[in-house]
Amino acid sequence: MTRITLGGAVLRGTVSTALIASLMSAPALGAAPVDLSKWSPEYVRSIAGTQEFDTAADCGKVTPLDYKGRLTFWYQGVFEGDPDLLRQYYKDFFETFRKTYPNIQLEEQALTYNDLLDKFRTALLGNAAPMAVRLQILGGTEFASKGYLQPLKPEDVGYSADDFWPGAMKAVTWDGVTYGIPTNNETMAFIWNADIFKRAGLDPDKAPATWDDVVKYSKQIHDKLGIAGYGLVARKNAGNTPYRFMPQLWAYGGGVFDETSANPTYQQIELDSPQSKAALQASYDMYVRDKSVPVSALTNQQADNQPLFLAGQLGMMISHPSDYNVMLDLQKKATGTDKDKAQTVIDNMRYGLIPTGPDGKRAVVFGGSNIHILKPEYVEGGKVDEPAAKAIICMWTSPEWSLKMAYAGSNPGNLNGFKTKWMKERLDSIKFLDVTTSMLPYGIPFPALPQSPEIMNIIIPDMLQNALTGAMTVDQAADDAAKKVKDLMGGL
Amino acid sequence: MTIVTGKTEARRRLQPGKSGVLRKIWEHRADYAYVLPAIAVMLVVIAYPIYYTIELSFFNTPPGLQLRDKTFVGFNNYTAILTSAVFWKVTWNTLIWTVGSTGISFVLGFAAALALHRDFFGRGVLRAILIIPWVISAVAASYIWKWIYHSDFGIIGAVLVGLGLADRPPNFIDSVSTVLPSLIVVNIWREFPFAMIMMMAGLQTVPDQLLRAAKVDGANAWQRFWHVTFPHLRNVSTVTILLLAVANFNSFIIPWIMTGGGPSNASHIWITHIYELAFGRQRWGVASAYSVLLFIILMTFGYFYVRALSGNDRKDGSA
Repeated sequence: MTRITLGGAVLRGTVSTALIASLMSAPALGAAPVDLSKWSPEYVRSIAGTQEFDTAADCGKVTPLDYKGRLTFWYQGVFEGDPDLLRQYYKDFFETFRKTYPNIQLEEQALTYNDLLDKFRTALLGNAAPMAVRLQILGGTEFASKGYLQPLKPEDVGYSADDFWPGAMKAVTWDGVTYGIPTNNETMAFIWNADIFKRAGLDPDKAPATWDDVVKYSKQIHDKLGIAGYGLVARKNAGNTPYRFMPQLWAYGGGVFDETSANPTYQQIELDSPQSKAALQASYDMYVRDKSVPVSALTNQQADNQPLFLAGQLGMMISHPSDYNVMLDLQKKATGTDKDKAQTVIDNMRYGLIPTGPDGKRAVVFGGSNIHILKPEYVEGGKVDEPAAKAIICMWTSPEWSLKMAYAGSNPGNLNGFKTKWMKERLDSIKFLDVTTSMLPYGIPFPALPQSPEIMNIIIPDMLQNALTGAMTVDQAADDAAKKVKDLMGGL
Repeated sequence: MTIVTGKTEARRRLQPGKSGVLRKIWEHRADYAYVLPAIAVMLVVIAYPIYYTIELSFFNTPPGLQLRDKTFVGFNNYTAILTSAVFWKVTWNTLIWTVGSTGISFVLGFAAALALHRDFFGRGVLRAILIIPWVISAVAASYIWKWIYHSDFGIIGAVLVGLGLADRPPNFIDSVSTVLPSLIVVNIWREFPFAMIMMMAGLQTVPDQLLRAAKVDGANAWQRFWHVTFPHLRNVSTVTILLLAVANFNSFIIPWIMTGGGPSNASHIWITHIYELAFGRQRWGVASAYSVLLFIILMTFGYFYVRALSGNDRKDGSA
């Protein structure tokens, strides 16, 4: 038995009390994490607006509000396909940050999804990176594995790992170490125009149940109305392509590796499996055989599908909940009869779950973004102002701002965001939000590998383009893509 | 009339064998002082990157590693490039792109220059209009043309369908067979005004008295062009073609914005392919090897360009 002196006992008692008191005061532990096992639209509604958060006070415990410092920060910002509402929230965030931390000199730079990775990689090569960066979910592992990022876990900014989706935490973990914090996470949904469905002889209130139905419906819409049925996207170097093709690939039972399993090992390449080929065949059938999707799918991104949909020239597409707001914004800018036409489309806009594969498998990309701190040696000037970086990270990943910054197009990375009053307001004002939150449990993260950006942004679109242009057969395109992944994983 | 330029005078003074190298340098110390800042800047922003690119071309840089973890592979990158099917496809695309864009831009620019060289009402306005494509930002032009060509709701398609000339909009940039010619058309539209301006400047140097004399001697318009005008424009034509060719070899904005090298690599030219290899796929070593090869080709163009300019100088000096 260990003997403890009176002084030692007092010291232990004091330390333990202080430790418990400090943990109790931490915002993450002050709020019970959301129960993911109960996740449903009803559950989300039941917890919305049940808790108040004081962001400034919480972040003040991480970095004092009078802290004086300087921070360079790059982030994946709003782009042409985002609604105006989101632009306003981004503006509000930086204004609020400057008011909350008046002595931190913030130099922020917004970059679009498709530009950020290239620019960030180039900056890293020249040791000219910013001190902190908010990257798409795909990017974290690449930079963590190369040693550019500092370890950073939710606890470092006053939260707990339980406050975030487990899938999102996987995407910021490399070799057992956490290198970032999720800011937002989303899953997309299936959108269709009920009026087009009706005119094409389809049930206007029923989304296609399977991907085979999507192929069938797309053809029916095209044949009867002469417009594009499904909004296929196959542009290279554009995040939109994997976000739309991977759900199809996974639903058919395919994959790049075994990323759909609970504990993926990423050892076996599955792109050339019969299931993966069946998914590619479905795209081929729509683009080449039936010609029922936009011809411009090879050079376009989702932002090009939005005006097509609003003009009543597209029947179905996969997209964010924000697309409803985007349509409202676009409709406001329309003039004359176009305005009325656009309103008709908006009135007929419907959201549903993404279709399943032949075996009833439903899947969607678990998307989002993460925020990271760089190691000083890769930063311009060779110094990182950690307290300043943690201040902005605490604020962005707070329940309040992780929700507001994802108000229209995503969901809060911090699950406590679902409990805020702004979530309640959001559920009341954003149509179809229920549907996209219902897709969250079906979300599959991209493989947490440094090679993922190349696989998703180049190899997958290349495979689609090779098959859809006839440069290769479906089998050849899938085999070619599998070989490219194999070479890539082999370091070639 | 003999025009003595500064360069010609300097060349005369630099006849070999008449003085030592140091003496020559001393004689031209002011000249060297003038070009020294430019040389210093070039050493920093051009010479070092060239050296680094050449060095990097001998290393393997896997996407999962930092650049400092690169491994020396000798000429492997060059061997891999020269034996890959993609290289030959991209090279073929680059040749079609460069030759097509350069040749047609030059011919159209020359024709426009000849037309605008005549005195007619509205010539100034027309000249200003024709220069517009050249002064428009290439990025803006690319987006506009993407819209014009759009395979679903492009202007050309809408007009053709509206006039009943086509059942559905033609596929310009989403087809492997039409994408490159479509991009070349955009490039020609953008750069023929450059050729036009160069050739218009050249036309002003053609002695008027020679043309009048030829007319008096009974030469028809074609003979006057072929035997008087064209010989006077030989050097400016060479320089224009070389400048266009170099610009086209290095052309990035139009193909990258309009198609990103797709579909299925059908519009990838060297420079877009190098960009994708380096920044999209992080194969810095292979991309550097590609760049070295491109550099050698461009230096060859540069050599002929300087020769063409020197030819002008020699001609000027001896006339």
